[in-house]
Amino acid sequence: MNQTAIEFSKSIERNISDDPLNDPNYKTVGEVTVPNAAMTTKNVDVHYGDKQAIFNVSLDVGRNEVLSMIGPSGCGKSTFIRCLNRMNDTIDSCRIEGDIRLDGEDIYSRNMDVVLLRARVGMVFQKPNPFPKSIYDNVAYGVSLHGLSNNKSELDDIVEDALKRAGLWDEVSDRLNQPGTGLSGGQQQRLCIARAIAISPEIILMDEPCSALDPIATAKIEELIDELSQRYSICIVTHSMQQAARVSQRTAYFHLGKLIEVGATDIIFTNPSHRLTEGYITGRFG
Amino acid sequence: MNQVALIQRGLARRYRLEKRFKTYGLTAIVCSVAFLVFLLGTTFLNGYTALLQTYIAVDITILDSDFDGDPSEDLLSKGDYSGIIKRSLREAFPEATKRKEKSELYRLISSGAQYDLREKVVDNPELVGQTATFWLLADDEVDVYMKGRIDPTIPEKKRRLKDRSIAWIEQLRNQGRIKRNFNILFFTNGDSREPEQAGILGAVVGSVFTILVTMLLAFPIGVAAAIYLQEFARKNRFTDLIEVNINNLAAVPSIIFGLLGLAIFLNFFHMPRSIPLVGGMVLALMTLPTIIISSRAALGAVPPSIREAALGVGASPVQTVLHHVLPLAMPGMLTGTIIGLAQALGETAPLLVIGMVAFIVDIPSSPMDPGTALPVQIYLWADSPERAFVERTSAAIMTLLLFLIAINGLIVLLRKKFERRW
Repeated sequence: MNQTAIEFSKSIERNISDDPLNDPNYKTVGEVTVPNAAMTTKNVDVHYGDKQAIFNVSLDVGRNEVLSMIGPSGCGKSTFIRCLNRMNDTIDSCRIEGDIRLDGEDIYSRNMDVVLLRARVGMVFQKPNPFPKSIYDNVAYGVSLHGLSNNKSELDDIVEDALKRAGLWDEVSDRLNQPGTGLSGGQQQRLCIARAIAISPEIILMDEPCSALDPIATAKIEELIDELSQRYSICIVTHSMQQAARVSQRTAYFHLGKLIEVGATDIIFTNPSHRLTEGYITGRFG
Repeated sequence: MNQVALIQRGLARRYRLEKRFKTYGLTAIVCSVAFLVFLLGTTFLNGYTALLQTYIAVDITILDSDFDGDPSEDLLSKGDYSGIIKRSLREAFPEATKRKEKSELYRLISSGAQYDLREKVVDNPELVGQTATFWLLADDEVDVYMKGRIDPTIPEKKRRLKDRSIAWIEQLRNQGRIKRNFNILFFTNGDSREPEQAGILGAVVGSVFTILVTMLLAFPIGVAAAIYLQEFARKNRFTDLIEVNINNLAAVPSIIFGLLGLAIFLNFFHMPRSIPLVGGMVLALMTLPTIIISSRAALGAVPPSIREAALGVGASPVQTVLHHVLPLAMPGMLTGTIIGLAQALGETAPLLVIGMVAFIVDIPSSPMDPGTALPVQIYLWADSPERAFVERTSAAIMTLLLFLIAINGLIVLLRKKFERRW
C-alpha cells in the first residue's frame, strides 16, 4: 500500500464523519447500476486468506461502454477485474463472495463453465504475454481451441480479421509465421488484444494494458480501445488518469478495497463528489 | 575530494580480493581437470590393451579316428576337440613328456579354443583327415605376458606363468606362430571365468534393458507427479509433507532402494531374481525423486503470464499445461532426466541386492532374462584375481563411459528439439 495513501486515509479518519474505510456498510457515491448492463456485480467481497482485498463492491458494466477503474496501488481494482472472468480461481487462498452476473447468469454458480466464461469475457494483461509461437498461432489458438472455425481458410479469415481490428495486420501480414515474441512491446500487446478478440468475446477486460508501453504504443492502444468499444464492452484498469479520461465513458474510483465513487468520466474528473476521489484526481496521493 | 580519496584507499584491497577469488576458482578448475585427465588416462592406458587378443598357430591333424571312424555330421560336433588340440600341442613340443610338463603345455591354449575348432570343423567337414594350421585362442596368462605385463625377472615361484611356458612362448614368437588380433570376443561374448573368453556384451545388453525400463517408468511417472504437484495440487499441509518426503528420498542411499526392491518386488510379488526388469524398476524408484524435483523446478520457471494468457483465452487447466507450460518446461525436465539416468546407469549397490550380481554367461534376450549391468560387471571383474581382468575392467569402464555419453547425447538432442528458438 502506498505510504501517502495511508497517511491521507488517516487524516481522513480524523477529519470526516462519513469514513468509508472503517464503515463496513459504506455506500458508493454515484449510480453503480446501468440499464441493460452486460455484467452486474453486487456486494462482492474478496479475501486472500485472512486478508480482505475487496469490500462490498457493486458495479455494473454497461453495454458497449468503456468502464475505467482507477485508484492508488493495492486498492483492489486488479483483483476486482480478475473476478469478472474468474482468473482468481487460480489462486488457492482467494475466496470470492457476492453476486456477479453475465447477462443475468451467475458466473460463480455451479452451472457456469469457466472455459465458456473466459471465451465470453476475454482478458488482456498488464505485461504483453504472447505465446512463444508464431503470430498466426497466437491468434488462432483460442479459435481452434473452441472450435470456432470449420476449416483452414475460415481460420485464416478469423485471424486476419482479428489482426485487422487490433490494428496490427499491416505491420505483420507478411510475417505471420514469425514468433510473436519477436514483436515490439506495443505490437505484442496489440497481438494479445487480437488474440482476445479473435474468439469474439462479449466483454474485454484490460488490466493496465499500457503500463509496460511507451507513449506512442500507448496512444495506438487507446485508439484501438475507442474503436473496439463500438462492438465490445470494455473494462480497463489503469494507473493513468489521463488515459481513463481519454478512453472511458464511466469511471470507478477504488480505494483500499472499497469502491468509493463511480460516475460519468467527465464528471468524476471535473467535479468529484467524494473527498478521496478528489484527493486522488488532484494528485494529493496516488 | 575526501570521499574520492576514501574510496581510492579501499580500491587496491578490493581488486586484490577479486584477483584472489579468481585464482581460487582457476585452481579449482585446474585441479578437477587434472583429476579427470588422470582418471581417464589411467583407465585408457590400462584398458586399451583389452582390445587386442593373442592367438597361437598350431598345426592340427584331424583324424577319422577322432570320431570313432565315422565323421558324419552328427558325430562331428561330438568329437573330442580338446584331445585333438592337446595331441597337436604334444606333437609341436615333443620335449614335454612329464605329466606336469604336459599340463603346463596344454595351458598355453584357452579352454575355449576347442569350441572354436569344433565350429570350424563342423562348418568344413573336409578338414577331417587333413593337417592344417589353426589360430587358437591363447590363454589369458600368455596374453598378459605378450602384452608385457609379466616381468620374467621376478622369481618363478611368484608368478603363474612358469619359465618353461615362457620359453615355449618365445619359441612360438620366433617362429611367427603367435600374433595379436582385434579382440572381437570382448564385444560379442557374455561373462566368463576365463578372462580371454570374457566379454562385455551381456552386461551392455543388461544395462540397455535396465535403463530402458528405468526411463520408461521414471520419466512419465516423474513428469506426471511433478505436473500434478506443481500445477494442480492445492498447497496444504499434506502436499507440503509430500514435497518434503520427495526431497528426502532424493538423498536416500541407493542401497536402501535395492532393499526396498528386494522386499517388494522379489519377496512380496515373487518376481524372478537377477532380471533387468526388476533392476530397472528399482532404479526407477531411485531416479523418481531427481526427476520430480527438477521437473517441478522447470515447471516453476515457466512464467505465470503464459498460464494466464492461456487461461484468459479459455483454455482449460489441463490444456494450459499440455499446450503451453509443458513444452516450455520440457528442456528443463529432460536435463533432470539426464542427471537421473546417468546416476541410474552407474548405480551398482541396488542391483547387487536384487541379484543382478550373479555370474551369468548368457546374453539376456529380454528384460525378463537374468542379466547383469555394466557397473556390476566392472565390480565383478575388479574383484577377480586374474591379471587379465585388470585390463578388461578398464575396458568395461570405458564402455560404460561411452554408453553414458551416448545416452546423454541422445537426451541433449531431444532437449535441443524441444527448446524454443525464441
